[in-house]
Amino acid sequence: MKAGLGKGAASGLIVPVAILLAWQALAWRAGTPLFPGPWQVALSIWKLWPVIVGQIGYTLMRAFAGFVVAAVLMIPLGILLGRLKTVGRLVEPMMDMLATLPPPAVVPIVMLFAGTGDIAKIVIIAYAAAVPLIMNTYEASKGLHVMANQVARSLRLTRLETMLHIDLPASLPMIATGLRLAIASALLVSVTSEMLLATNGIGVFIQRQQENFQIAGGLAAIAFISVIGLIINNLVFQLEKRWLFWHYRSSESHSDG
Amino acid sequence: MSAASLTSFGALHRLNAIVSFLLIAAAWQLVAVSGAVPAKYFPDIPAIASAFWSMLTSGELPGAELRTLTRALTGLAGASILGVGLAVLSDLSPVFRRGFAPVAALIQPIPPAALVPMAVFMLGLGPSLYAFIIILVTVWPPYFNGVAALAGVLGEQIRSGQMMALGRWQMLWQIKLPAALPEIFAGIRYASTISLIAVVVAEMLAGHDGLGFLLIRKAFAIRIPEVYALMFVCALNGILMTALIGLLRWQLTGWHMRMTEQPA
Amino acid sequence: MDIVLKVDGLTKSYGRGADAVRVLGGISFEVEQGEFVSVVGPSGCGKTTLLFAIAGLHSLTSGSVRLKGQPVTAPPKGVAVVFQDYSRSLFPWKNSRDNVAFGMARIGGRSAADKRAKAEAMLEAVGLGGFGDKYPWQLSGGMQQRVAIARALASESELLLLDEPLAAVDAQTRSDMQDLLLDIAIRFRQTCLLVTHDVDEAVYMADRVVVLTRRPTTVDHEIRIGLGKKRDQIATRENPVFLKARHDVMTSIRNFRAGAPANALA
Repeated sequence: MKAGLGKGAASGLIVPVAILLAWQALAWRAGTPLFPGPWQVALSIWKLWPVIVGQIGYTLMRAFAGFVVAAVLMIPLGILLGRLKTVGRLVEPMMDMLATLPPPAVVPIVMLFAGTGDIAKIVIIAYAAAVPLIMNTYEASKGLHVMANQVARSLRLTRLETMLHIDLPASLPMIATGLRLAIASALLVSVTSEMLLATNGIGVFIQRQQENFQIAGGLAAIAFISVIGLIINNLVFQLEKRWLFWHYRSSESHSDG
Repeated sequence: MSAASLTSFGALHRLNAIVSFLLIAAAWQLVAVSGAVPAKYFPDIPAIASAFWSMLTSGELPGAELRTLTRALTGLAGASILGVGLAVLSDLSPVFRRGFAPVAALIQPIPPAALVPMAVFMLGLGPSLYAFIIILVTVWPPYFNGVAALAGVLGEQIRSGQMMALGRWQMLWQIKLPAALPEIFAGIRYASTISLIAVVVAEMLAGHDGLGFLLIRKAFAIRIPEVYALMFVCALNGILMTALIGLLRWQLTGWHMRMTEQPA
Repeated sequence: MDIVLKVDGLTKSYGRGADAVRVLGGISFEVEQGEFVSVVGPSGCGKTTLLFAIAGLHSLTSGSVRLKGQPVTAPPKGVAVVFQDYSRSLFPWKNSRDNVAFGMARIGGRSAADKRAKAEAMLEAVGLGGFGDKYPWQLSGGMQQRVAIARALASESELLLLDEPLAAVDAQTRSDMQDLLLDIAIRFRQTCLLVTHDVDEAVYMADRVVVLTRRPTTVDHEIRIGLGKKRDQIATRENPVFLKARHDVMTSIRNFRAGAPANALA
């Protein structure tokens, strides 16, 4: 069993190692600091990590703030719109249109109203996180099964009890999807907004590295972003699995049966 | 659902969209005229419309729009083909699947904006820059959905193919890909939104042309009606892209769309 | 009579070493040309494992399966399966005609037009003439099952394997489908092997019933059902021959279940 696992892990390394070697080979052939290989990037990480970690702190804090603002506003709004069918139908095309408006396109307007400080960035991040949140919450709340409502009525639950015990758990899996997408786009847009409205943060750090022709340093920062993104994604996934185990279990047994 | 009720459903949806659009426009106009927000920052509808018209007739907008759309569409096509190809490769070879999954998980969270400054140096300002950025951020939804869908093809369908002694490629072509296509298309649809965002970001940061560049230039020149008009064009592009994907999806996986329309 | 299928000392274990679970403990039986044989056993006796082994979809631990004398190691030409979960075994992206035509994938040297015509004929044979353009999801459960049967017939196989094919349809459709299957077996002189838990169905359909033990499964005994090829839902089920055979099989299976460890009953 153990030997088999070791062999699996070893064969799993073939592809990543091949990619790194190919990149290194390309870098050698280019022979310029403007096209660094993985080795130079690793050296930069070693040299720059304290600065990078500090700058990423700003980025993450803003991403978190924007995400929280969006979640607090959009989840209740989505549930409400899903319940009020007529209003929902009218608002739905508006949401579709907003969903297609790329977050960076709102940057110039936000700049006019809120300048280039933390507030402006948090507004942009909140906008980016709001779109998947409201869409998923709205769909979940709209699509709640008629059957569940009949169960609620036959059990003589009050309006509040129905919402708490039936509507909320039933729509949680979709809301969770919305939350996951929102977290991912909050992170993305946090970096983007820094690069457009420069003050501090990892986005600015990357731009400074570029201006000084320190490409390896910029790639080192990108490596940090990707690892942090990976950790956050995994964390969210683990939490989702723990809290929504009933959803995963039942969908698994469906595909088996 | 019959064809007739499907089209009436579509018509109803369009009517909703028009009413909704008119409502937004009316509300906008009301706010602009009321003077609650400085007119300089919040121009009324006629001002935005005339800004749109002048950019259209000067040729400024059509040129930028054409560039941006071409980039987004070619990037999306390339990313979709690459993503599905990687998913198929993962399905055929467990070694590749195990090795590539962590690579994908690491590259996926990288923001396109962060890549632009580095990529400018490594690739220059030409089409390869845009191709690189778009593909690197757009390839994941088709890839992840493809891997999940190919792994999730029903055992009974696979066994039916085995009883017909289908080879590896026939199995892929005749059973696995058709079964996986609806989920792959859901991924491509999501990717289409990302590809538009990536193009606009890249144009804003590296730009010398395209919609993103135009947007930044107008913003710095404080031409506010133009900025709003351009945002409107960006939103329209999203709708256009979704419609194009929907058309292709109907062609390739119409059976699935009709199946899910079916009343249970 | 020619022997179509010969299963000889078939065993199947899962896992290795001390953890190994022996599911099939040496099964032997034969199926002759044109015969309808039912295999019936207590719940959890590994009937699907047996069926997949015969279809060449699972490897064997020991013993052999021979189709017309040829050992079966991979899915052989000449065996068609109607799976238990028919709605999942049909392809929702193909209409019923194309689903049936897919059954001819292993028959070479035919034009597309020939295949289409044959598919239509097979749909006609299962009472679905004129439904060729309908997709599986536009048909009722019983009709989907007919499409799956037509697909199996279209492959012109020596042996039709039926994996509890009627478990998921309602009781009335079920008796209609039993008669349809019997009718087809006679008309096409199709050799059939039905694997099921339903004793009534096993006896009603078969010329011969193979009764299995509980795990590790072997053949307990066989009964020849002397009722002739023609069956009738009312008359046959009141026939003393039917009742006696049913009594015999029922008793064996109840004894196995009574003697089974508690977890096997779950």
